Amino acid sequence: MTEKKYLETHEWYSLSENTITIGISDYAQGELGDIVFVTLPEVGEEFSKGDSMVEVEATKTVAEAYAPMDCVITEVNARLESEPEVINTDPCGDGWMVKAEVKNLDDTGMLYQEYETFIS
Amino acid sequence: MPDSLLSPLHSYHIKNKAKFIDFAGWSMPFSYDGTIKEHSYVRTDSGFFDVSHMGRIEIRNSEIDNLSKLICSDIKNLDEGKALYSIFTNSDGCAIDDVIFWKFSDHIVLICNAANSSKVIDHLKEHLISINEITQSTALIAVQGPNSLNLMSNFLQIPDEFSCVKNDIYTYARTGYTGEDGLEIMVSLDNLDNLIDFLTSSEAKPCGLGARDTLRLEASLPLYGFELSQNITPIEAGLKWTVTNKNAFLGSDVINEQINTGNHQILKKFTIDSKSIARTGTNVKAGNTPGVVTSGNYSPILKKSIGFALFENQPTTDLLEFDIRGKLVEGKIMKKRFLS
Repeated sequence: MTEKKYLETHEWYSLSENTITIGISDYAQGELGDIVFVTLPEVGEEFSKGDSMVEVEATKTVAEAYAPMDCVITEVNARLESEPEVINTDPCGDGWMVKAEVKNLDDTGMLYQEYETFIS
Repeated sequence: MPDSLLSPLHSYHIKNKAKFIDFAGWSMPFSYDGTIKEHSYVRTDSGFFDVSHMGRIEIRNSEIDNLSKLICSDIKNLDEGKALYSIFTNSDGCAIDDVIFWKFSDHIVLICNAANSSKVIDHLKEHLISINEITQSTALIAVQGPNSLNLMSNFLQIPDEFSCVKNDIYTYARTGYTGEDGLEIMVSLDNLDNLIDFLTSSEAKPCGLGARDTLRLEASLPLYGFELSQNITPIEAGLKWTVTNKNAFLGSDVINEQINTGNHQILKKFTIDSKSIARTGTNVKAGNTPGVVTSGNYSPILKKSIGFALFENQPTTDLLEFDIRGKLVEGKIMKKRFLS
């Protein structure tokens, strides 16, 4: 698994061979407040870079997580259906959202230091 | 942009790692432990809110006759030592603000929404009512939840429901905005530390405006700027029970006509079973009757999406269709309160 990289839209992703794991950053979960509903995509669904993949409803506002690159969903974190708050408590670990097969590698996200500067 | 006003409890909030939100020109705590946890403290035990941003105004009882001409409720016959929820109406019968009055032997304390403080003060002055604003010289703390009276009885004498008391230090009432029992306590800044020290040493947990909003929504309570506004009357907001002023008051002709004809826009509560929240401004239809969501959020107790929507007229069906960011989502009108 490669080091996590971050997007300006506050998703993180990490790559392992041809599989990408995607979630939202700690900063993003903090801004959203308590997450109460997560709508995940279906396995097999295809997304182009920038497409909305996941909808996150929180007490403060609603947000979407976007595809960091073209990909096809291979697994979703079903635990989030009943325990969406895991995104608040462990956004970069157990709070991962989807795994997907990369269709068109575009590994241009920011490393954490760069992202930290971006959000500060 | 001018600097935000800070509550007299600001250093307490910083020390307790509050996340802040700018609200009506004030920087106030949005949450400490998280909105859902804080919601649960208040529903199951006890939580306290700094609501020092709310406007506080003293009015002498000699002004009651004039004041009575501006509000929809009967304050003249209100007993001393009682609290009253009421609404200042404009000439269209719509809400200038919804407020709480605490009536004492020689004066009334008026508590208004922070965003409306200057509007209410101007309105009172315009009608030649002399006032003494005490917002910045006092703090206001709401202690709410089923265990609150038990906790506070070690500190203050507990009044009856909807009653208010004043001693040398504290002016307080058994009122609130969460649907739970509790006290709202006003104290001068010199004496604030004693109250904070007591609360800090008690089991009551600090709660922010995020939980205050989910609690009031779940308790079916309106919020000015959303369920009430200068375009919405108390009747339209489902607050006919507040219209107890038998004499003429500003906009009473419009309000009486609405009561008689039933011909007006109408606020309804709703629930949604799917994982979507219909937020403020969302368009909704009940059959052919269009409406718009005034407030919507997650109910931690019901574990579902709830809210209020304002319809152009009385809907003929309870089945609703929301347009949430282009997606059609079904919901239904809730006739009873969200919490039984």
